[in-house]
Amino acid sequence: MHPRWLPVKSRLLAVTLVAAALLSSAVVAGCGRSASGATDQLTVTGSTTVLPIAEVAAEDFMTANPGKSVLVAGVGSSAGIESVSSGTSDIGTSSRDLKPEEAGLGLVDTKIALDAIAVIVNPSNPVDSLTTSQVADIFEGKIRNWKEVGGLDQEIGLVNRDEASGTREAFTKIVLGGGDFDPTAAVLPGTGQVRSVVAQSPTAIGYISLGFVESKFTKERVKALVIDGIAPDENTVAAGTYPISRVLHFFTKGEPTGLTKEYIDFVLSSKIQDEVVRDAGFLPISAGVK
Amino acid sequence: MDTGSDLTGRDVAPDMCADDGEAMRAPEPPRKSTGLTKITRATYLKEAALQNLFLLCACVAVAGVALIFIFVGLKGWPIFAKIGLLEFLGGATWYPTKEHFGILPLIINSLLAMSGALLLGAPLAVGTAVFLSEVASPKARSIVRPAVELLAGIPSVVYGFFGLVLLRPIIAGLFGGLGFGLLTVWLILAVMIVPTIATLTEDALRSVPEGIREASYSMGATKWQTIWRVLLPAAKIGIIDAVILGMGRAIGETMAVVMVAGNARVIPDGILKPFLTLTTVIVMDMPYASGDHRTALFGVAIVLFIISMLFVAAIRVISRFGKGMS
Repeated sequence: MHPRWLPVKSRLLAVTLVAAALLSSAVVAGCGRSASGATDQLTVTGSTTVLPIAEVAAEDFMTANPGKSVLVAGVGSSAGIESVSSGTSDIGTSSRDLKPEEAGLGLVDTKIALDAIAVIVNPSNPVDSLTTSQVADIFEGKIRNWKEVGGLDQEIGLVNRDEASGTREAFTKIVLGGGDFDPTAAVLPGTGQVRSVVAQSPTAIGYISLGFVESKFTKERVKALVIDGIAPDENTVAAGTYPISRVLHFFTKGEPTGLTKEYIDFVLSSKIQDEVVRDAGFLPISAGVK
Repeated sequence: MDTGSDLTGRDVAPDMCADDGEAMRAPEPPRKSTGLTKITRATYLKEAALQNLFLLCACVAVAGVALIFIFVGLKGWPIFAKIGLLEFLGGATWYPTKEHFGILPLIINSLLAMSGALLLGAPLAVGTAVFLSEVASPKARSIVRPAVELLAGIPSVVYGFFGLVLLRPIIAGLFGGLGFGLLTVWLILAVMIVPTIATLTEDALRSVPEGIREASYSMGATKWQTIWRVLLPAAKIGIIDAVILGMGRAIGETMAVVMVAGNARVIPDGILKPFLTLTTVIVMDMPYASGDHRTALFGVAIVLFIISMLFVAAIRVISRFGKGMS
């Protein structure tokens, strides 16, 4: 007897599926063979800060454009700039501007997002504003009591992030300069924990990305301090007046063309800017412009 | 015997052990029906296979320990070679991203966390054990003992979460500061080590022969005098073993501690200041550590391994010493 293991229709379907699989694997193999400079594969390397944006954008981009692939790697801003200028990758992402010695490499800058760090305290804290140097002194442990900066006579409860944090890295560079964090500060792994501890402790001070100061997930409130007389909001960050902020860049060798341009345009589209960029705690590059 | 039946039963149990060997062998002769015939080949093979299976199980456990030790050792050894054992163990600064690999503050912090937890937790646990073994009515025991056993079953991350969201704000409210620090860790760890110490201490108290209790009572001693002057000294070795195991649990605890310790890489200048321990540094740093930093974390793991070996060795030595005495 003929083994009726599958109805005829299903057998046809199975054959079609196998054929389709073979065909698509051939296509994928074809893609693999083409060099990284080819039009259907894009390599994006650089800043780990930019990684959440670049990676989610790449996934969405590949979903929207089947057959095109975008490889994203987080290796640090300097390595990203180095690899795009040497031609190893198509886009180098960076959380800092070009250094003078990198200026002559023929790199074209596309700004893709704004990153601002808010210095947060408990809403009950009478201190509303600090200068950048006061913030630095507080986090370096030189100022230990709130009364030294116009607050109550209370010991400051320092809350720091772990060294893996991109926010800590940016805060260190922008605020502390060459200085070192007070080693006695509490070190918490994650923006959520910093926010929650500061929201509960009247004497605490911490720092988080501006995008996380207002949270729709919790009723706990924190107060973002005015720094050097500038309140942190989308307008001051976009205008570049809020001191603890930076711009996230895509660098390309020459003007972006082809797939590179398609991907960059996709990242700059309102879908990515308003959802992915904001979800990652950053501000859209167009923030405050309107 | 005219004492309480369940106590008597328990008391007799150790003596039964001596008979156990014979008891185990006793059922065998009926199986060999003639008493002299050899066992069948099938039975022999089955027995041999089972023996080897159990040997294999034991080997896997030993191999696991050996492999972990070798792996951690190989990974961590280069840091001793590079900066020197003394510099690693005795260095006062742990700041790996600035090439400072001294783990002395971490060792001291771990010992501080452990001793405080022990001071709070051990009396609590021994008290619980005395209650369970000597004081409690069967009804009270049937409630308390499962509760203590349940404490051992709660995952440590739950203790940590409890500490972070409930205990920490309370301590911050009472004493000021952020609530991260030794005090919070002590309270959490003290509760966590109770089941370990209480269960083993109860076993130790129960293995004290009933005759000793009877002798004490017949001399006119009160319950308290019997417990304090007779039973606890008699169960001393078992209780010390239990406490050492509790120490091992306290010093090795990671998840609960990392959530409430605050993780500052210095020796805290108060019991309300954040600190980092040998275990928590591995959790905090492993995600991003590379190069010498990563090697140093394996070095920390070696130190932890050696500390737990010392605890196990201490238990063995003390138990042997105890046997020698009795």
